[in-house]
Formats: sequence, C-alpha cells, structure tokens
Amino acid sequence: MKNKILNIKNLSKSYGAFKVTDEITIDLHFDEIHALIGPNGAGKSTLIKQIVGSVKHDIGSIILDQEDITDLTDVERAKIGISRTFQVSSIIPQFSAIDNIVLSLLDKSSKTFQLFKSIRNNKDLYSNAKKILKEIELLEKSDISASDLSHGDRRKLEVGLALAMDPKVFLFDEPMAGLDESGTKMMINLFKKIKTNSPILLIEHDMDAVFALADRVSVINYGKIVATGTVDEIRKNELVRDVYLGYEI
Amino acid sequence: MIIEKVFNKWILLFLFTIPVFGFVFEEPYYITLTTKVVILGIAGIGLNLALGYCGLISFGHAAFFGLGGYVTGILSFHAFNSELMFSWPFVSSGSSDMLVIWPIVILSSAFLALIIGLLSLRTTGVYFIMITLAFAQMLYFFAISWPNYGGEDGLSIYMRNSLPIVNTMDPLTFYFICLFWLLVVIFISAKLINSSFGMAFQAIKQNEERVKSVGIETFKVKLLVFIISGTITGLAGSLYTDLNRFISPSVLNWQMSGEIMIFVILGGIARLYGPIVGAAFFIVLEQTLGGYTENWQFWLGLILILEILYVRTGILSLFEKKFKYEK
Repeated sequence: MKNKILNIKNLSKSYGAFKVTDEITIDLHFDEIHALIGPNGAGKSTLIKQIVGSVKHDIGSIILDQEDITDLTDVERAKIGISRTFQVSSIIPQFSAIDNIVLSLLDKSSKTFQLFKSIRNNKDLYSNAKKILKEIELLEKSDISASDLSHGDRRKLEVGLALAMDPKVFLFDEPMAGLDESGTKMMINLFKKIKTNSPILLIEHDMDAVFALADRVSVINYGKIVATGTVDEIRKNELVRDVYLGYEI
Repeated sequence: MIIEKVFNKWILLFLFTIPVFGFVFEEPYYITLTTKVVILGIAGIGLNLALGYCGLISFGHAAFFGLGGYVTGILSFHAFNSELMFSWPFVSSGSSDMLVIWPIVILSSAFLALIIGLLSLRTTGVYFIMITLAFAQMLYFFAISWPNYGGEDGLSIYMRNSLPIVNTMDPLTFYFICLFWLLVVIFISAKLINSSFGMAFQAIKQNEERVKSVGIETFKVKLLVFIISGTITGLAGSLYTDLNRFISPSVLNWQMSGEIMIFVILGGIARLYGPIVGAAFFIVLEQTLGGYTENWQFWLGLILILEILYVRTGILSLFEKKFKYEK
C-alpha cells in the first residue's frame, strides 16, 4: 500500500444492463508508468472519467495518496492532484497556446479570483507557462490561437495543460494519437522524465510507445481487467494476445 | 483590435458631444435620448458580462433592472411623502439622496443575483434560460399585485433624487451623472475581462469541462460573474427610474429582458462597447421608425434576423470590417 499513490478497488459502472467497467481493481505506484490497453469500447476512457469524477461510478473506491477521494467532485479531485488529458483534444479554442497553459496554472497559484489585476502583467505565470511550452516543443507557437494549431500540436498542448497543474498523478488518454514520429519521440522522453515526480496511468493504442514506456501494463476487455504484468509478461500472455495484441506480436 | 479601440473612442466622443449640442441648441430631447442610450447601455454591459463573456444566457435580467428601479422608486416615494417605510430593526422613511440610494440598489441587486444565481446556475442551456425568466416573471407579477406602490399603474416620483451640490433636475447634469456611471462600469468591466478571473470566465464560455479539469471551481466563477452582471444592470434600473421619475412593472417583464439581450446582440456579443451601440441603434430605430408605424419592432426583428445570419458578431464588427477594407 505504501508504494501505491493511486489505488482503485472494484470500480464498476453500468448503463442499464451494459457494464462499462466491471469491478476494476488497478493501482499506480510511485515513479511508474502503468499502461492500460484494450480494444475500442473496452472501458478504458470510462475508467479515466470515473477516476477524475466526471462520470459517477456505481460501486467501488478510489484512494489517492492514502486519501479516500471516492466522494469528491471532479473539481476537488483536480485540485488535490489528478490531472488528465482528454481522448479528443479539449482545449480553449479562442485562447492562444500560452493562455491555455496560464489558465491551467491559475488554480495552483491561487489567482482565479484575482478580479482587477491584469493577467498579462503577471510575469511569473507567463514565464512558467513558457517553460512548459518549451518542454512540449510549442514555445515558438505560444501566441497562436489554439484553434489554429495542428492536431499534433493540440495533443501536445493537452499534455502541457496537465503538466502545468503539477499533479500527484497523470491520467493520459491516448496522448500520442495523431502525433508524427518526432512528436511521439518527444512525448516518450517527456513521460520518462515526469514519471519520477508524478506517475502516469496511460491509455495508448501505439504499442511501440507503450512497450517503450510502461513499467506495468494492464489489459482491459469488456470492462474487466484480464491481465496485469510487466511488458514481457503481457507480451507472452496467451489471453492478451487473443483479445488484443494478436498472434503476430 | 486596434481599429475597434479607435472606434470605441469615437463612441465615447459622441457620448460627450451629442448632449452638449443638445444643450447649446436648446434641444433637451436629444439629451434625454442620449441619457436613455447611456442607461440602457449600462444595463447591456451588465448582461454582456454574463452572456457575452461567460456564456450565461440569462433571460431574466429585467429582474435586476426592475429591482434597481423599484428600490429607487420606493425609497424616494417614502422620502417625498415623509411616510414611514419600516420601523424595525431601525426607523426609515426612505431617502431621496442618490448617495444613499445607489449603495442600497447595488447591495439589493447583488443579493437578488446571488439568490437567482445559486439556484439557476445548477442548470445549463435552456433550463438556465427558463429559470432566469421564471424569476423575473415572478417579480413582475409580484409588482403588479402590490397596490402599495402603484400595482399595475406603476409608481411616480415627484422629483428626481438629489446629489449634493449639483442640480439633478437639469437634464445635462443628470446626463453626466449617468455618463459617469457608464465610464465606471466600462472601467470595471475592462479590468475584469483582462484579469485572471476574466480569463477563467471567458474560458468557461468556450469549454467548461476543460476549465473544471484544471481545478477551477466553475460554479463559483459563474456565480460571481452573475452577481456582478446583475448588480450593474440593477444600477441601470435605478438611473432609469430617476430619468423617467416613474417606475412600472413593465420594466420587470420578459420584454425588458429581451430588449437588454437585443442591445447586446445588436452591438456585438463579448464586445465591451457593443451594448452601447446596440442600445443607441435600438433607440434611434424606435424614434425614427416609431414615427411612421406602431409596429416598428417588425423592422427591428428583420434587422436582427439579418444580423444574426450575416454579421453575427454585431454592429461593431461590421464597422471594424469596413475600416479594414478601407485601409
């Protein structure tokens, strides 16, 4: 229990007779990247939504850093250290890239309710935002409206928004979808670097990236965790090959 | 953006000069008309903060406008008649002093916005529209059935409320009082829009789920915007009562909410000076077309449809484009 920062027990969610997540038990250790893989519709994104609190679960519990957060709202969970990216890019379209990052820094710096001071004059916020943009290789596009960014750059910005919160855990939902080779490489290096501060629960379909990054992998199918183990263990698992990876791997 | 700033300065210049012309050429009618533009512009700027910048489509801002109007009317009604208003927890016979009335209007409008906001902001979309509308209609019917203050016939006040040193009965003086408030409201709104709080509420309009995910309590942000918005509109209602020296339930009706919304849409949603342009356009249309036909609103509707279909971002953006092409 001591080395677990996030501990999810028996989390279930049903829509009528359809069980989207079925008694899922999964944990996230300090310093690790735990990848969650599975076919489309297996319940991966719904699990993320339940952890962040945007979808209410039916039963189960969520413990973050030894604190039961099961009954907290989505905003409260974000405040105490759960940071996420969305499966489909969710940014503030009319804001520039840097303003998107600054927005993400507001709560941490207790600036949300500063009513009359110009945000543009807050050099600390903007210099922190620039550091993050540099990290995600978007510094030269900092003043471009987020709606004008390419798909790949929006994915990077999503990750930047999560980074800015300096959370206890990251929940990344397909952060590399649509990225080119250099973008994927940048993300892999970034994730390896940040996991020591904040471990990552990663949903990803790019198996090369998953196998390059993950310390542990869990496989979900029909809302159930069917296997958990190291990359090698998962590669060798017959059931996993059957339901997801295929025989060619 | 730079062009819009230039245009905004022109708007202010017009607001300063037109009433002065009215004064020089002894045409108080134009002063009164511009005063109305300024007051309704203030109401529109209030709504624009909620609707234009935060995406809160309130169809009940008449509640604040009417409350501000009635608080002003009732206070001065008692003061002029030397009638006791209440005797607990302290004795009060109202007031005809604007310096007393304004803080009471501001506090009561803020309180009403807090109550309406606490209940209505739990909903979104059409439900939010309907709840805000319902609150305003409740107040409307309450005012109609309140015989102490004129009921359906409304309430007249004999003299405009007073300020130390100046003569508020003078149209130009009263105009500059209203203009002062407009400038204050513009200043406050500009400060809010450019603050970190402004960043949060403008982000909520675009993507509330994302704003929540970065730990910002969107409910509190929206509630505060709604309170500020309602307070500004309430202040406009107070000035409107003083302008007309009369208040009636009609300012609480849904039509008033619709008119304030029209000022915002006509002038330009989420444009600071938009509601002033919208209110001016509305009043000019009312005064010109209204002279030819009783049903001038037909033409207003037509203009609104054309604007929403082809311009969308309001009259200000139309001028902005024109300036751009001329360059």
